[in-house]
Amino acid sequence: MSSFPIGDRGPSSMPASQRPPVILIVTALLFGLAALAVPRFGTLGNIENVLRIAAILGIVACGQAIVVILAGIEFSFGASAALASVVIVMALPTTGVVGAFLLGSLLILGVGMVNGLLVARFSVPPVIATLGMLMIASGLAAWLAGGLPIDAPPSDAFSFPARGRVLGIPVPILCAAAAFAVLHLLLAKTRLGRGWYLVGANATAARLAGLSVPRLVFSGYAVAGLFCALGAVILTSRVASGQPMLAPNLPFETIAACAVGGLPLGGGRGNVLQVACGVLIVAMLNNIVVLLNLPTAYQLILLGTLVIGAVLLQRDWAFLGNAVRLLTNGRRG
Amino acid sequence: MTIEPAIALAMRDIAKRYGATCALRSADLTLQAGRVHALLGENGAGKSTLVKIIVGAVKPDSGSVSLAGKPVAFRSVAEAIAAGIVPIYQHLSLFPELSVLDNLSAFQLAAGRAGLSRKALVPREEARAWLARVGLDLDLDRPVSSLSLGERQLLEIARGVGRNCRILVLDEPTAALNGAEADRLFAVVRDLCAGGTAVLFISHKFDEIERLADEVTVLRDGATVIDAAPIGRHDRATLVKAMLGMQVEHEHRSGSARAEAVLTAAGVRMATGHALDLSVHAGEIVGLAGLVGSGALAIAATMAGAASGQGEIAVGEQRFALGDRREAVRLGVAYVPADRHAEGLFPPVSAIGNASASALSRFSARGLLGKTRERAAIEPLLRRLHLHPARPDAEAASFSGGNQQKLLIARCLALPNLRALVLLEPTRGVDVAARALIHRAVIEMASNGIAVLVASSDLDELTALCDRYLVVRDGMIAEDLPGSASTEAIMAALAGKAAA
Repeated sequence: MSSFPIGDRGPSSMPASQRPPVILIVTALLFGLAALAVPRFGTLGNIENVLRIAAILGIVACGQAIVVILAGIEFSFGASAALASVVIVMALPTTGVVGAFLLGSLLILGVGMVNGLLVARFSVPPVIATLGMLMIASGLAAWLAGGLPIDAPPSDAFSFPARGRVLGIPVPILCAAAAFAVLHLLLAKTRLGRGWYLVGANATAARLAGLSVPRLVFSGYAVAGLFCALGAVILTSRVASGQPMLAPNLPFETIAACAVGGLPLGGGRGNVLQVACGVLIVAMLNNIVVLLNLPTAYQLILLGTLVIGAVLLQRDWAFLGNAVRLLTNGRRG
Repeated sequence: MTIEPAIALAMRDIAKRYGATCALRSADLTLQAGRVHALLGENGAGKSTLVKIIVGAVKPDSGSVSLAGKPVAFRSVAEAIAAGIVPIYQHLSLFPELSVLDNLSAFQLAAGRAGLSRKALVPREEARAWLARVGLDLDLDRPVSSLSLGERQLLEIARGVGRNCRILVLDEPTAALNGAEADRLFAVVRDLCAGGTAVLFISHKFDEIERLADEVTVLRDGATVIDAAPIGRHDRATLVKAMLGMQVEHEHRSGSARAEAVLTAAGVRMATGHALDLSVHAGEIVGLAGLVGSGALAIAATMAGAASGQGEIAVGEQRFALGDRREAVRLGVAYVPADRHAEGLFPPVSAIGNASASALSRFSARGLLGKTRERAAIEPLLRRLHLHPARPDAEAASFSGGNQQKLLIARCLALPNLRALVLLEPTRGVDVAARALIHRAVIEMASNGIAVLVASSDLDELTALCDRYLVVRDGMIAEDLPGSASTEAIMAALAGKAAA
């Protein structure tokens, strides 16, 4: 009956889990600084705008996070979303709105499954498998669309995923909230999620512990595809067209969000809060570039710097954490 | 106190914290010139941290370090080396693709600026003299990869002592050496001592310590509990007690073997091509004894479904195909691999997560993981194995080697329908206390009717545990010896001499 004797009662040895997570503080600091320093950042309209950007990014980043926890990486998200947008718009006249969205989603699930199969069964390195799929999906999208965007006939149903509101809340933001909830459930409460962590931490040990490593890897990429599919539906609805170059930076933005949130790209670690904060940071930075009237090319430069910086910082994350805690919590000895 | 021999290194009241973990609280260490000083302590006692401070890899939070009476504070390993402190680690730090001469010159190259001219090399005559000091006579142009492990270790010492070496730090130097190589190493160490070098000798092996050391310091929980006592003042039991702060009972074996065969290989062909016939009974502890490279480990791995091959292993009435580790786990065959880091541990995952990895089915219903149930089942196991520090939610990487090994043992214990246990080198690189606890757990499992198969290169371990020995030579089981067999008889069988 006695509980495990954890020597954590004293303030000096308070475990990390009881302190406010560093990443949350960093996110709040960035928000505060931007609200003070960047004109129009803190307006309600702009905050909704940031959340809309963050919503799509966040939904897809949920998928990326699973793959990263598995010690993999997904580069094909943007291209498969583009391919899906083209297929959705082309199928629209025959299948109707719901059918088209479903078809596009299945397509992305298929891409995820192929990636999973390549990595899990044929031991293709994730970078190669997903980059290959990026090229294939991009090529297919361009070929199907004939190189140009195809417009979708305007309809309320079609624009609902991007522009609709339920109880006054924009649908993309609701979807993102649902996506994060599902990711949390998967990672923290299911056997599948635990398996992903174990495989990402040490695949050989996982096999020897009796886990089905190929099945876990495959399911990870497939589920990641489902998250990407939801994001792609909202994206397609927002642009109301099939675009072969829909979201070329999506994989990089989601990888950046994971890295900035503190997920080690070596796998085995990470939680929903980290992903969500990483997504908010990336979305706020993108928004700040726009508000400051800087060329959007800056976004990409910033993103690259952010990924590399985040990976470098992860090694000295404790140092940064202590600095931040000192700033925000100076009272404590 | 009347005659004051030259103190080479004095460390007083050293403390070092890593985040919430206190690695050292109050450690003292005094090394004297020309003496071998043994440092003892269980894993996690702070030995590695103390050594890191000595060699300049880590800075202490508080306390003083003085070298030959002068206070020092090294900012890097290079500074410590320049001051005459030479570390020799168990994982050799030579460059296998480079020549003997290149390796001897490594410190020179490191000290110089980027220019890699041949001038940076140690003169050949001098290099030969360095080698002679450690009793080596090698072609200077041979690649290091062609040397034996023992030769490499001596070469590493030669590199260190060639320059000024005031303090030699040997961190488990014999872990990978055979008897003759270790003898040679000890002779060299003695020689260096005679020349005035102070030696810090870290080892888990009491035999070696008694042979080589003049004094011993014992660390427990980051503090010095025995400070520079002459060897012979305390007997082994006292030293062990000092390390643990408690008395460890020597594990006692009363045979609990029953007739029923639990883990059986019949007519199996291993990946190595050798045939394998082997049966382990309920409650029996069978030892696979073999010299390094004999194939004992491969046989054990095959029995657990961790290595491929042709055929099936029977677990009671049921069977699993070779290499099907998943099915083996389902049938209740637990496994502790030989290489803890590469094959066993999930470093970023919590202690609980590591221990429950093979038993997730026990804690989940319809895909949902019952974390409360998991905790309730795993925590008692960790407590029983005295996981230290007792932090079930800390990640596995933060524990010492011995405690990481306890996590792997806990993983076996957690298996829902545990019937057989296959252990490879279960206590390699593990301190005395963890070893005793692991052995106790294994014996307890056997007395509960579990079939146990242990492959170990440590004969002491096998004789402490086993009811029966299978001696492996050239990839095959060559002899089947009863538990009453003497150590000499087993050694003779290992070497391939006809058993008396």
